[in-house]
Amino acid sequence: MYRVAALLLGVSSVYAQNLSSPQDLLKEAIAFQQAGKLDNAIHDYRLLLDKYPDIPEIRSNLGTALAAQGRYTEAVAEYEHALRLKPDKQVRLNLALAYYKSADLVRAADILKDLHDKEPSNVQVITVLADCYLRLGKNKELVDLLTPVQRGDPENRTFNYLLGTALVRDGQAAKGQLIIDKILRNGDSAEARLLMGTTKFMVNDFSGALIDFQKAVELNPNLPDVYSYYGLALLATGDQAGAEKAFRRELKSNPNNFNANLRMGVLLRQDDQNEQALKYLQHALQVRPGDPGVRYQIAALELSQGEVEKAARDLEALVKESPQFTEAHVSLATAYYRQKRKADGDRERAVVARLNAARQAKEPAAKAQ
Amino acid sequence: MQHSKLNRDRKGAASPVKFTRRDLIWLAAGCGASTLFGRQTGSPQSDSLFIEVPTSSSGIEWVHDNAMSPNRYLPETLGPGCAFLDFDNDGWMDIYLVNSGPCDFWKPPKPIRNALYKNNRDGTFTDVTEKAGVTGGTFGMGVAVGDFDNDGWPDMLVTSYGKCILYKNNHDGTFADVTAKAGVASPGWTTSAVWFDYDNDGRLDLFICSFVDYSGGHKFECGDNKLGKHYYCIPRIFKGTASFLYHNNGDGTFTETSKGTDIAKSLGKGLGVVATDINNDGRMDLFVANDTVQDFLYMNRGPGPNGSWKWEEIAMQAEVGFSENGQARSGMGVDAADLNGDGWQDLFVANVDQEMFSVYQNNKDETFRDVAHVEGVAQATRLLSGWGLKYFDYDNDGAIDLILANGHPDDMIDHYSSQVKYKEPMLLFHQGSDGKLHNVSDQGGSAFQKAFAARGLAVGDYNNDGALDVLICNNGGAPVLLKNNAAKGNNWLGIQLEGAACNRDAIGAKIYWTAAGKKRFRLKNNGGSYLSSHDPREVLGIGKAAKIDLLEIYWPAPSKRVDKFTNVPVNSYIRIVEGKGIAT
Repeated sequence: MYRVAALLLGVSSVYAQNLSSPQDLLKEAIAFQQAGKLDNAIHDYRLLLDKYPDIPEIRSNLGTALAAQGRYTEAVAEYEHALRLKPDKQVRLNLALAYYKSADLVRAADILKDLHDKEPSNVQVITVLADCYLRLGKNKELVDLLTPVQRGDPENRTFNYLLGTALVRDGQAAKGQLIIDKILRNGDSAEARLLMGTTKFMVNDFSGALIDFQKAVELNPNLPDVYSYYGLALLATGDQAGAEKAFRRELKSNPNNFNANLRMGVLLRQDDQNEQALKYLQHALQVRPGDPGVRYQIAALELSQGEVEKAARDLEALVKESPQFTEAHVSLATAYYRQKRKADGDRERAVVARLNAARQAKEPAAKAQ
Repeated sequence: MQHSKLNRDRKGAASPVKFTRRDLIWLAAGCGASTLFGRQTGSPQSDSLFIEVPTSSSGIEWVHDNAMSPNRYLPETLGPGCAFLDFDNDGWMDIYLVNSGPCDFWKPPKPIRNALYKNNRDGTFTDVTEKAGVTGGTFGMGVAVGDFDNDGWPDMLVTSYGKCILYKNNHDGTFADVTAKAGVASPGWTTSAVWFDYDNDGRLDLFICSFVDYSGGHKFECGDNKLGKHYYCIPRIFKGTASFLYHNNGDGTFTETSKGTDIAKSLGKGLGVVATDINNDGRMDLFVANDTVQDFLYMNRGPGPNGSWKWEEIAMQAEVGFSENGQARSGMGVDAADLNGDGWQDLFVANVDQEMFSVYQNNKDETFRDVAHVEGVAQATRLLSGWGLKYFDYDNDGAIDLILANGHPDDMIDHYSSQVKYKEPMLLFHQGSDGKLHNVSDQGGSAFQKAFAARGLAVGDYNNDGALDVLICNNGGAPVLLKNNAAKGNNWLGIQLEGAACNRDAIGAKIYWTAAGKKRFRLKNNGGSYLSSHDPREVLGIGKAAKIDLLEIYWPAPSKRVDKFTNVPVNSYIRIVEGKGIAT
């Protein structure tokens, strides 16, 4: 960040109207950026780039200023331009962070994984990559990433928390428990409560989970995911209004939370607030591109809105990729029947029957005969 | 639900829950702590919409024996059903209650029987079971009442794990077991059943739900629960079966006519059935609730080739087979009624906890839309498992209301789920002037503050005051009789329809009544609820109106006759005979 480019030394002044030299302009831009006067800094960087478009450090600094303003798309463009001019691992990390902030977690994780492979000890890379995996639901990858890290730094609270969460969410409750023990040695904490609650939630003990999530919220309302899981537990225990409030609270501090976006979409769809529901579902899909569950919800919403052709198209793509997704076949059959495509509907109905029969055949009582 | 508040209250806001090693051990075992579930407030009994009638007042001392065993055989948890019927034609509703009985996995250690209670016309009942000859003797499930021989006396079909029993009314306070002659034994495991005239030949036919294949030695293949005990297996593990459809031959015998139809082809796990007319074509259709597989909607398409009858299963097309999210649920109780007064039959299905119940609004094109969320029913039923239920106008304001009887099938659920209970509260919904269902359970009375292992539910006016009362049958417990206290001040007309050309019970008749400028409609459906039969009379609520200006009866085929009556006096029961008018 703020790489003062000696590159500009010797460049003749073209900024005589206000400043004596490009060096002065660069110094001023950096000073603005450091002072938080981002508009001014961006203005200066762009003036410089008008004349010297191929200086990667200026582009990188501009990208950083833009990212600080939340203008991630523009920041990504500047970082990528800078990297085309000159590969640089710090700029790549900045690019990954911009992707991460803009909810493009897949791209962020790809870059971070590459950075981690090249520099396994970089704690910042590990931390952000771990969080990407967590949000993407890639629990196994997260466990693989953090297990050796945690072994080398067994008391690191952040890593313990992330690894414990991944283990619990991956269904490895016993291993997760060992990690929870470590966290508990430091006393009650929001992280520990969230983990405990998640464990209970995973075994369908929703009321037990609710108590822990509630405590976690009290201990640290800003802990990522805490309101999201609190909302899930409230929903499972019948408090829909409370759940909606919790999801909204999560999204206020963490707009890219997958679960909160997905659940808000589902809840609003149930209440016929389809336009709002779609926004949340699309955001969830942005966080986890291609997620079949979100895509199914979007298609179901389209179906309930009467956008039958669109729904049919989306569901056709979904069942092509996930042929065992029974619910998608059910909805696709519904879409076809609404389109008066009886033969297609009957075909999907037959697929549903076949999938259900296969499932039934695996049941113990069926096998016993 | 206010669980978060409950939990705070129990633990105390100032004393945070401590983490202990015990917590962790307990967590590793995957078990949950229990919290209270139930209503904490109640209304005074005198102001209640329903008043629980104690056994000491009613004389109904019979108690259901669920035969609960350490092995937890599934039939133990599914019964019982019950019925309001006037078996002696004295104009007063009697009560029939179904019990368990001997079967391949249970030999009762002491005599056990069903019960028939005669209405003494003073709020009390007398057990006349032995004299009537309706003790049962099978592992009984439910009862469907209908006058299959058109002799004017109600007959009864008792469904069972084992075989059904058809009791023909002898007109003298006794019944005869005519199962063998009739040919409706229906082996296996039968649950709800419904009498209806599918071919409009003037005789009641019979549909019997068949549940799972519970034969052989795989009765508890689901293993043990977290407590290391056998538990009631989720029916998902058992194979589905085809239900039975019998045509009434008119000579006391029946012919199974489902073979070759969609009814025989659809392997379900039927628990609830209602006969209704979905598309207003004058033919009664069937909506069947299935457990863990999709529900079925059998459309009656009329005569097929070679004397056959055509049934088309369209639940998926109709969007009533699965949840909104494409999932098969655990359907149990069902019903049908014109909930929104548009002249088309809407449907209801109750499911198990976390699945929520569905209120299906008829789109008038053989499709439906689930409006349970909009109606507030979905949210209220998220944690409940529903069985007996009924769309009915409990306060005689003319609009259809709803009652739901609930209870979880797993008696050990309390041990490993902290928010779902074995015994659950009933729910009562009132349809307001906004046309929406409002949860008024907290005004329902003391019974609505309690929790039950409820199964069957029947609605009937046992004291002939024009306000429909409710009977709930509990698994392994005493039935609960609720006296209606909600209809005071509203006027009504009770009608007993008597078919002449059509079936004697007039199932399929359409009733229109106009009072104070408001025209209302009711189709005489049959079946619905779970394992149970309702009072066959129709009570037409008219609110504050002083009279019914016009009453129209559209009798079902074969006559399709229309009888009209003007300026009908109210607050009494009348009998209307097809083509002959009001009987004296």
